Amino acid sequence: MARLDIGADDLIDNPTPRVPVSLCLDTSSSMGGSPIQELVRGVNLFYDAIDEDDDAHDSAEINIVEFNSSAALVHDFASIERLQRITSLAANGLTAMGAGVNLALDSLEKRKATYSGSGVLYYQPWLVLMTDGAPTDNIESAVKRVVDLVDAKKLTVFPIGIGAGADMKTLARFSPHRPPLRLDGLKFKEFFEWLSKSVARVSRSTPGDTVKLDLEGLAGWAEL
Amino acid sequence: MFKEFHYQVRGHGHLRDGTPVQDRTKFLSRGGVQVLCLADGAGSASHSQIGAQAIVDEGCALLAERFHDYAASTDGAVVKVEVLGRLMDKIGAVADRHGLRPSDLASTFLSVAVSGDRFLGAHVGDGVVGYLKHGELRVISGPDNSEFANQTTFVTSKGAAESIRLFRGSLEGVSGFILMSDGTGDSLFNPRTRQLAGACSKLITAVGTAPAQQSKNSKYRKQLRKFVDITVRDATKDDCAIGVLGRRVPGLDAHVTA
Repeated sequence: MARLDIGADDLIDNPTPRVPVSLCLDTSSSMGGSPIQELVRGVNLFYDAIDEDDDAHDSAEINIVEFNSSAALVHDFASIERLQRITSLAANGLTAMGAGVNLALDSLEKRKATYSGSGVLYYQPWLVLMTDGAPTDNIESAVKRVVDLVDAKKLTVFPIGIGAGADMKTLARFSPHRPPLRLDGLKFKEFFEWLSKSVARVSRSTPGDTVKLDLEGLAGWAEL
Repeated sequence: MFKEFHYQVRGHGHLRDGTPVQDRTKFLSRGGVQVLCLADGAGSASHSQIGAQAIVDEGCALLAERFHDYAASTDGAVVKVEVLGRLMDKIGAVADRHGLRPSDLASTFLSVAVSGDRFLGAHVGDGVVGYLKHGELRVISGPDNSEFANQTTFVTSKGAAESIRLFRGSLEGVSGFILMSDGTGDSLFNPRTRQLAGACSKLITAVGTAPAQQSKNSKYRKQLRKFVDITVRDATKDDCAIGVLGRRVPGLDAHVTA
C-alpha cells in the first residue's frame, strides 16, 4: 500500500510578496513643536498597526526619507519586525522637497531591484509625501519622475498637506489623477491608521484584484 | 492512457472576505482525447467564477474536438487566434445570458490534452503547466505576470493574443502533467528558479499508480484532496486549484492510504 508521502522538503516555501512604502517627510524648521511630535507619534502608531495586521505584517516594508535643507534616509527599508520605533525627528532648515522625493524614488527603485534579484514578488510601491510648506529647491525632475511612474501605473502616491501653510498646488503636481489631501488639524494618528489599513488591503490582493482606496475613511483625518 | 485528479478549494483570504472560490478545473475524455483544464477567475471581476467555469467547459470541448488538427498544424498563430476566439465567444455568450460584460468574467486559462503519442496545450495568464519526463520535473509554461504581484493577463485582456502560449510534443518518456493556479504555485513552484517542487513528481506518480477502479470519494482521492485542503491552502491566501494527469502503468497500480 503506497502512501502520498509529501513532506516539507517536497514543497517550496516562497516569501510573501512585499509592499514597499516610502514615507517622505518634511522636517523643516516650520514643523517644529507639536507638528513634528505628532508626526513621530503617528509614524510609530503606523508601525504598530502594521505589526498587528497579519497580512500587512508579512508584506509591508517601510523606509523614511526626511527633507529639510537637504534630504536624508532616516532608515532604510525593513520589515516591521526589524524596524525600531523612532524616538524623535529634528525640525530644522529649509524644505528641499525635490531632493526628498528624488531620494525616496531612488530608494524604491533600489528596493525593487533587490526584490527582483532575490526572486521576491512585490506590489506597486507607495510614496507618501507629507509637508507643511512649499519647496525651496527645484522640484521639476522629481515631479516628472513621479508623474511618469503614476501614469505607467508603477507607483501609488499620497501627497498630504499639513496645516494651512501647505502648498497644495505644488502637492497637486505630484498627483496627476487624485487631488492631494490636507490633514485635518494634526490628525496624524487617524491618517496613519487609515494608511495601515490601506496597506493591508493591498497585501491581501491577488492577481486581478483592483485595490480601491477606502474613500469613506478619508473623512476621519482629511479636510474634505 | 492517463488517470486524472483535479480539484479546487477556496482560499483563506476569500473565506475571510466572503468571496466565492473563483478557481475551476475540469477533465474530459472524448473520442480518444483526454483534456484537463484549469481557470483562475480574476479577483477584480465581479463574476469571475462563472467565467472560469465557462473557460474550462469550452477549453475541454475545444481541445477534444480539435486536438488532431492542432497537433498537425504548422501555423501556431492561427491556432492561437482560434483558441482565444472560441473562449471569447463562450465568454460573450455567457455574459449575455447573465446580463454581464465579458470583463466581469475575466479568468486565466491553463490546459493540456493527450492522445496517442502526442500532447498539446495552451496557457493564458499566471499559474504553471509542468510535466514529468524521464523522471525529471520540467516547467512547460510558467506564470505570465507583469512587474507586480497582483497583475496578470486574462483571456478577456487586450494583451491575451500576445500572452497566449501554445505547446505540444511527444509523450515518449512523459509520466504525467500538472496544472496549478498561482495559489497552488505558492507551495509547488519556485518563481526565482522557475522550478517545480518535488511534491509535483509525487503527485503525478500517485495519480498514475492509483487504483484502477475508484469512486469519486475513494481513499486515494480523499488523500489528494486533503493535501490540497491543508498543506497547499495553508501556504497562501488565494484559492488553490490543481489538475494532474498521471500515465497509467499497467501492473503497477497501487493503493494510497491515509
